[in-house]
Amino acid sequence: MSGNSEFMMVSESGWRRGLNNLLDNEFASWWKTRMWWVQCLIWTSIPAFILGNIIFSSKNFEFSEGIMFYSIFAGVFPAIGVIIIMQDALVGEKTTGTIAWVLSKPVARPAIILSKVVSNSVGVLTTMVVVPGIFTYLLLSVASKALLNPVPFIEAWGIFFLCHLFYLTFTLMLGAFFTRRGPVIGLALGLLFLQQYLIGLLPVFRYLLPWTLAIPLNNESEAIVPALLMGQPVHSYLPLVFVAAECVFFVLVCLWRFNRDEF
Amino acid sequence: MEEKTPNVISTRGLSKTFGNVAALKPLNLEVHRNSIYGFLGPNGAGKTTTIKLFLGLIRPTAGSATLFGMDSVEQSVEIRARIGYLPQEPHFYEHMTARQTLRFVARFFFKGPRETIEDRVSEMLELVDLAEKADRPIKTFSGGERQRLGIAQAQVNYPDLLILDEPAASLDPIGRRDVLEVMSRLRKYTTVFYSTHILDDVQKVSDTVAILNKGVLVAEGPIEELLAGSEGTTYLVHLKGDTESAVKLVQSQPWVSGVKTGSHGSEITLQVGVTDPQAAEAQLLKLLVNSPAVVTEFRLKQYELEDIFMQVVEGGQDVRK
Repeated sequence: MSGNSEFMMVSESGWRRGLNNLLDNEFASWWKTRMWWVQCLIWTSIPAFILGNIIFSSKNFEFSEGIMFYSIFAGVFPAIGVIIIMQDALVGEKTTGTIAWVLSKPVARPAIILSKVVSNSVGVLTTMVVVPGIFTYLLLSVASKALLNPVPFIEAWGIFFLCHLFYLTFTLMLGAFFTRRGPVIGLALGLLFLQQYLIGLLPVFRYLLPWTLAIPLNNESEAIVPALLMGQPVHSYLPLVFVAAECVFFVLVCLWRFNRDEF
Repeated sequence: MEEKTPNVISTRGLSKTFGNVAALKPLNLEVHRNSIYGFLGPNGAGKTTTIKLFLGLIRPTAGSATLFGMDSVEQSVEIRARIGYLPQEPHFYEHMTARQTLRFVARFFFKGPRETIEDRVSEMLELVDLAEKADRPIKTFSGGERQRLGIAQAQVNYPDLLILDEPAASLDPIGRRDVLEVMSRLRKYTTVFYSTHILDDVQKVSDTVAILNKGVLVAEGPIEELLAGSEGTTYLVHLKGDTESAVKLVQSQPWVSGVKTGSHGSEITLQVGVTDPQAAEAQLLKLLVNSPAVVTEFRLKQYELEDIFMQVVEGGQDVRK
């Protein structure tokens, strides 16, 4: 290249080539737009409003009632948000052609996928798990008239995050296979809502799918989050292991498919 | 490893099939360093497919392409580090401004210094006359402005090879002229490979031309050679008076391959194809002047690129040099 002797050249190589720049760009789409505060507002205000209503309108507030609401709400509804955001992450760029443009630069394909996984994971963790979680923790502390032990809550946030990471990576993987949004969002939402029936049909799915991380089937001890928050014994930690492994598997499949894709 | 070769691009039997459709049939091309290589063809000829193969956006079904001596599949990222590319329809992140877009592109190549990157970004914005709109979101840009931004982002890294897919397609005449000027200016530093269907532009700036039709390379060579004619050297002669004996005289020469006649008012026109240009240059005009006919015009036939293009695209003729 002529005329570039004054510049410090990018030194990343292999699968990391372009990763820093892509991460900056992906993070900017979360934190330098209204995205972060809109997501914070949605996922904090709705549960805070409903939980506040439960707490302050009931004369005999049951702590377990608040925990069950928090577990179910935080386990299901942000997942819908994750799917809606992620269904566009690859398919949107394929349909607009920006992915082909980016790939015409010195960028390794894995860097594109990893930048999307990392930036969206951080965005989801912060705006859909931690910020609403802190509000809920404070609200439940107020309702209990004592500062609650934060450790089970922090553990619960980790599990909620894993649950959302499952949908994040699953939807991203679908985006690597399809060029239209319909199948991606349809399959991802289908899995989200049908897994309780799948578990009913084949009980082994309770260990393989993220449903029982937060949502109990029959009693609260069958789901990890409510059991942790209420100090009860956890039925099984196996779903954590399987869901984490599935997240890794989805990313690997996504990398494999995206590497073979033509633009 | 990069080879020391005069060719920036070299393909051997490069082909691409989508399902049952052969978008590109075995292609052998060589693009020399610092040339402006015009890649012509009607819509669907396989021009964009070829460019995408160069960039590693798609994989060849057979054959190979090397750019700077590196394989387009195995060393795609290293190749792209030395290329500037303008897509046929540039698509950028709509929420970004022109300045942010150029900064984003620059950072795939350079990690600093920040001021130097900013200076380069500003220089590119000035070059394409977008400095005043630099901080407006791209979603507010017109087609021509997007195209100019595309040209700027393709040059931000001082590329050794500039690949432009229909660079002037959505530009007004002034924009087109500016693009051609930029290309001519860059020849000193870089090689330009560009596809287009605007034949006039090709004739103005290219030194080498290839014509692709239905995935097949049907013509390739230095533009002067192509314009000299695909049927060998041809002279164009206008005669009046006793033309019959003059035509017979010309036809009898051993170095004449054929004579086509036509009428032009009171004159007749001859297109004299020759097999020995030196002999023709030395003897043809003398023969005609000494004949009973009156020569009113005598010149070497210059083909317009459009003639060649129509000949090979519509006539299916292969005029590879």
